[in-house]
Amino acid sequence: MAVVDRAGPIADSWTRLADDQAPAAGATVIVSFARLKNEHNSLFSAAGKVGVEIAGDVKLEELEPFLPRLGLIVVRMNNMRDGRLFSIGRMLRENYKYAADMRAAGDLIPDQMLYLLRCGFTSFEVKDGFPIDSLRRSVAAYTHWYQRIANSATPVTELRHGAAHGGEP
Amino acid sequence: MYIYDKFDHAITSERVAEFSQQVTRRLAGELSEDQFRPLRLMNGLYLQLHAYMLRVAIPYGTLSTKQLRKLADIAKKYDRDYGHFTTRQNLQYNWIKLEQVPEILAELGSVEMHANQTSGNCIRNVTADQFAGVAGDEVEDPRIISEVIRQWSTFHPEFSFLPRKFKFAVTGAAKDRAAIQFHDIGIHIVKNDAGEIGYAVYVGGGMGRTPVVAPLIKPFVARHELLSYLEACLRVYNMHGRRDNIYKARIKILVRDLGPVEYARQVEEMWPLTRASGVDVPAAEVARIQAFFAPPVYETIKEPVAAFEESKKRDKAFANWVKNNVHPHKVPGYGAVTISLKPIGGIPGDASSAQMHQIADLSDKYSLGEVRVTHVQNLVLPNVKQADLFAVWQRLGEIGFAESNIGLITDIIACPGLDYCSLANARSIAIAQRLSEHFADVDRQHDIGSLQIKISGCINACGHHHAGHIGILGVDRAGQELYQLTLGGAGDETASIGTLIGPGFTSDDVVGAIDKVVETYRGLRQNAGETFIEAYRRVGPAPFKEALYGRR
Repeated sequence: MAVVDRAGPIADSWTRLADDQAPAAGATVIVSFARLKNEHNSLFSAAGKVGVEIAGDVKLEELEPFLPRLGLIVVRMNNMRDGRLFSIGRMLRENYKYAADMRAAGDLIPDQMLYLLRCGFTSFEVKDGFPIDSLRRSVAAYTHWYQRIANSATPVTELRHGAAHGGEP
Repeated sequence: MYIYDKFDHAITSERVAEFSQQVTRRLAGELSEDQFRPLRLMNGLYLQLHAYMLRVAIPYGTLSTKQLRKLADIAKKYDRDYGHFTTRQNLQYNWIKLEQVPEILAELGSVEMHANQTSGNCIRNVTADQFAGVAGDEVEDPRIISEVIRQWSTFHPEFSFLPRKFKFAVTGAAKDRAAIQFHDIGIHIVKNDAGEIGYAVYVGGGMGRTPVVAPLIKPFVARHELLSYLEACLRVYNMHGRRDNIYKARIKILVRDLGPVEYARQVEEMWPLTRASGVDVPAAEVARIQAFFAPPVYETIKEPVAAFEESKKRDKAFANWVKNNVHPHKVPGYGAVTISLKPIGGIPGDASSAQMHQIADLSDKYSLGEVRVTHVQNLVLPNVKQADLFAVWQRLGEIGFAESNIGLITDIIACPGLDYCSLANARSIAIAQRLSEHFADVDRQHDIGSLQIKISGCINACGHHHAGHIGILGVDRAGQELYQLTLGGAGDETASIGTLIGPGFTSDDVVGAIDKVVETYRGLRQNAGETFIEAYRRVGPAPFKEALYGRR
């Protein structure tokens, strides 16, 4: 396993914690959503930073109370064709105003990562040997977009009418 | 016609470059076929029975003659010198080499065309009324909002990996020529009591193994809020549509399982969220697009046009063609010509490179340089002066496309079937050809009147058999091709799904069975003006069952 962002591999300080494993004091840990719901008070007081892993069937309204204190949300899809990931990303960013790191995990290919970035993801968990060159080329494939998506550049529908170009895709 | 600006050009050429490197990575083995598949599908590339098929998008069925000539040239250079116009108003090439696809896409880009999202589990090419802008019964030209939707849906970051494919159709007219209620989302342009233009939104229609006529989900969405409403519709589907079973993955199943009322409620709940993200395009942008579809400059012509009326009197064959193939135009002295791509014994929807060039020439000379594709797999010259109709008809005769059968029994829709498609159970084209030959007699066709036969070679229903007045479904029974008949379907504003009439017929017997259905109708119609579908709706299936299978 490796973690990458739009530019390539990044250091990963997060440790995955099994549900029966106590966090070391001040540690940076990822826990299951079930555990977060049950033990959020002790987790947030013991660990240095808390992240959570969620899946496609998540109810975002249940996650909402914890969002301001979370340092990472990992959204895992086991199948690259399961597009719920994209909706979850946008809703977390645009509607729930979640601002910290958001990581997509699963059987992803480089060609999907530009879309994931545009939906608000900031990092990706990938298999070892992931083609980094393809990732870099892929996220730079387009200069312009048609849609206004909260996390991405000014769309052409607005550039055409004098809006300033701003932001990364 | 919409004309690309520098942004459209940039996006299109960046797409070609992206796909080009994806093909390279596939050929080098970096991408597995499983990983490559959704990428190639979103670029219109299918792996068929014998070769790759490339499906080129013809947004809302509108082509310039320059584009049509390019399609012809590509057919000649990269394929077997012909193309196939489809029920999605697209064009398919059937014999394409993978390594040549980036080059073909670049050629398409040079005339402002592409193959984006003509396949895959994403928002597909938007279809619309082929008489857009020229029909008298229109509230607004449907191509305006179709182009807005085309741009919004292009490489949409959230909706490119949906549970299943997603098809839009738009009509601005009272008479539905776009079969909107058989689409995932059908949009009917309407005016409210205040005289404002907006959209009635139907969701969850479709063909396939579970045919559904889409229910009305929202009677009026204001123009400046349509995209956020559509995003809400799509997001509810993307989050809750089924991914466990490909046959239950279309939005029609979600809407059916939730019920239209509950689905509509969830969309309403989602709508403020999508509205808040600012996806609705500025009014100035809609106005910019609208300007491209401003009506052309027409001549002022007084009807009746003497030469035209005389030609009809003099030549019965011409009069028949005008009656069937020329649609009234909103401007006096003009007509909209439907060119039948259904010559007797031909392959529905096929046109050779030479024929495409000839039609482009005709359009430049007589129809202000525009051509349309219909979902019934014919072409349209939308702006022909009545005084020129005789010359157009003669020229079409020379290229083999003057059959006066639009809307008649030989104007058949057929999917590619077992001749091309890896999903098919049975041949479709061969049945269409034999039916066409059997009913070739023009006088008999006119006597039978309006009758749509639609043929699908498998349950996926690409030939729209559910919506045929007579539908034919090819099935495989222990290695034998059998054809089941459905009666009473319709794809217009009275949309209905055909009823399976009984056990299937062999390939040898199916033409005779259709003949029996037709003769039964002729025997029981109340008068020559009662069409097949009207008669069927009056009497029901019983007399047809009896004619086909005897008394039980």
